[in-house]
Amino acid sequence: MNLERVPNDEKLNLCRKYYLGGFAFLPFLWLVNVVWFFREAFVKPTYTEQLQIKAYVKRSALGLLLWVAVLTTWITIFQHFRAQWGEVADYLSFTIPLGIP
Amino acid sequence: MGPECAKLSIFFIVSWLCNGVRSNSVEQKIYVLLNNTVPCVRLLNATHQIGCQSSISGDTGVIHVLEVESDLDWVLSSGPNPPYMVVMEAHLFNRTTMTRMKGSLRVAGVAVVIPKVGPPQGFSPHNSCPNEGSGVYSSSYGPELAGCNTTVWNPLGNGLSYEDFSFPIFSLREDNETEVIRKCFREHNVAVNGSTPQYPLCAMQLFSHMHAVTNTATCMRRNDIQTSFGIRPEMVCDALSDYNVWGSVVPLNNTAKGHQEIQSVVIAAAQLDGRSFFWDVAPAGEGSITGFVTLLAAAHALSTVPEPERNILYTFFQGETFDYIGSSRMVYDMEKGTFVIDLENIHSLLEIGQVGLRSGSRLWLHSDPVSRRNSTVDSEVGKFVKNLKTEADGFSFSFAEPDITQPLPPSSFQRFLRARPIPGLVLTDHQSAFNNRYYESLYDNAEYLNVTYPPSLTAEEQLEHVTETAMALAEVATVVARALYRQADGDVAQLSNISADPKIVTQMLYGFLVQTNNSWFRALLSPEVQNILGPHPPQYYVGVSNSPVNTPTRLVQYILANLIGTPRNLTQEQCQNPEGVEGESKELYSYYWVQGPVPPNSTQGEAYCVRASVRLTKAYSPAFELQDYSSQNYSTWTESRWKLIRARIFLVASRELELMTLGVGVAVLLTSLLVTYFVSTKADLLFSSSREPASAAY
Repeated sequence: MNLERVPNDEKLNLCRKYYLGGFAFLPFLWLVNVVWFFREAFVKPTYTEQLQIKAYVKRSALGLLLWVAVLTTWITIFQHFRAQWGEVADYLSFTIPLGIP
Repeated sequence: MGPECAKLSIFFIVSWLCNGVRSNSVEQKIYVLLNNTVPCVRLLNATHQIGCQSSISGDTGVIHVLEVESDLDWVLSSGPNPPYMVVMEAHLFNRTTMTRMKGSLRVAGVAVVIPKVGPPQGFSPHNSCPNEGSGVYSSSYGPELAGCNTTVWNPLGNGLSYEDFSFPIFSLREDNETEVIRKCFREHNVAVNGSTPQYPLCAMQLFSHMHAVTNTATCMRRNDIQTSFGIRPEMVCDALSDYNVWGSVVPLNNTAKGHQEIQSVVIAAAQLDGRSFFWDVAPAGEGSITGFVTLLAAAHALSTVPEPERNILYTFFQGETFDYIGSSRMVYDMEKGTFVIDLENIHSLLEIGQVGLRSGSRLWLHSDPVSRRNSTVDSEVGKFVKNLKTEADGFSFSFAEPDITQPLPPSSFQRFLRARPIPGLVLTDHQSAFNNRYYESLYDNAEYLNVTYPPSLTAEEQLEHVTETAMALAEVATVVARALYRQADGDVAQLSNISADPKIVTQMLYGFLVQTNNSWFRALLSPEVQNILGPHPPQYYVGVSNSPVNTPTRLVQYILANLIGTPRNLTQEQCQNPEGVEGESKELYSYYWVQGPVPPNSTQGEAYCVRASVRLTKAYSPAFELQDYSSQNYSTWTESRWKLIRARIFLVASRELELMTLGVGVAVLLTSLLVTYFVSTKADLLFSSSREPASAAY
């Protein structure tokens, strides 16, 4: 969808939907929201709905960062201790690498 | 437009095909594939992983041929082109060199050139105390005898087979291929007058990436996870297992399991398997073949006389090398009441161990000092010893007992003793340490047992040629058979009629040690299983559970059936299903449709039906049945799976040249992208006039 052709209230609606959708453990929706509405929120000349869009984009970005931080930490810990944890780690794994502990 | 499309697609297909063919031949031009190689693979038990593995994309190194031990310094410190692929002579394949290489990052892998005859001082990659943890002696049973405290059975054992190597190790046979490798090494890798060798250098790449890791519990758990959750299940290991063979003099009803009221059974046992450092090459000549061939010959000798009072059960155990898989399973089945007899039915037991290499004129009867502290067991063992000694009178050898404080050698009998103090003996050619200088190694072969033939003989004549080894084993078999008959309360008047046929022994030795594809084996096997025969001896490594019955097991099953069974006048259909035929019983006998000997002046023998009380039972460790993968009581050995086992040599360029080639390639790609970009932006200018008429022509 080309945002250029969408009326402003529709944009706000979309942005809100993506923002709310992200709470259903879908950080990628926030990522999309941030990327997609960044211009609308921060580059375009002001319009009435922009303030709200700005808020949604900011919060989406915050949520996204939180997710990234949490996931990165977990993945680092998991990869580092996988061999050490043995049985537990095997049950936590989706694919088990061949030939290494 | 249509024809143009067709033309284009044909052009693409043709060029793709050409490409395919060309890349194949490029591969052939670069690499020389080594076909006669055997890898060392990874095995796992409750606590350890042993064996070797390469990285997933294979390990590559510049070849260095080791002729004397000092050459190792070049590999480990002074050589300028690490990592090295060490090609070594067999005499250097020992604990010292392997330990030195194990700690070095400059070793990419090892290839060992294996000659036919072993080093004269002996070589055994096995433990010095085989099956130490799974025998009967432990802290609770004769603690002073546990762990080979009093007798080291295999003093030559250097334990290499039980080491874990992080690089691949392959074996090469002394042949043309090895010559190619040596030539490649001499031409490219040998420095002239102390200078460093110049690129391109001769390199070798070994692939043997193993899937399983750590121990059996880990790999079995991963198997489970993979099969229950994986999208594309990728099993990582399989339990070592095969089948035991058993046969009895008086037929046993196969449907009646557990305790049998009237049975009293003398068990005569032997082991069927062996191993070596490398995967699936295990000649096991003295280690197993001498024992089970003697037992087969004795069984045959006993088939000609009337049945004795007691029953005699011949058992051939598989996987004994790996913590007694076969015998522990049979004992487990007897305890659970799922075998045709149980432990209470056993009167006594005689196991035939390594008997092919007599030193002097004595064979040794080993018994268990701990159970002999009980006076009833002691007197039974005493009687059994007396029986054997009496029967050996008048033969070229005599029986002797080792010191009463000496424990049993590694033997299946130990697994029976773990369950119950059964009176029993283990017959071997060694008093304490093994006479076998090549225990569980590649050299325990026909040459070592002196099963050799005058070169002038054809294969058929060799089969009939009675070797001295066969004569000696036939004598032992005769004595064993007579003693078993006496032990089973047979008619003493019949004893002189029992004698093993040296011709059959020599035929068996030929088949099991030289080549299985011989007329005698062909005649004894059913037409469907003829394909297991080949122009070489079978391998005695037990193998894994997902493969069909091992060749040695199959052979022993058919040979035993023929030797102790009787031919029946049945058609092929009746033989396959004798239900309802008068006088026949599927419960008491197995029926084997065998090919029969080929008469002279004919090409095809006449097949017939043999019935015998001979069956296979699983030799699958109870640990896997109980899913107790860290079991202390039962064998937990598994073999890792793998995708690719391959060895190849090629000329490798220097790192700088490789990087330069890559750099030039990338530069060409980038230039062409840029040119295309500019051409396409200026396309209107470049192609404006000539384009229209050209496309109109089509």
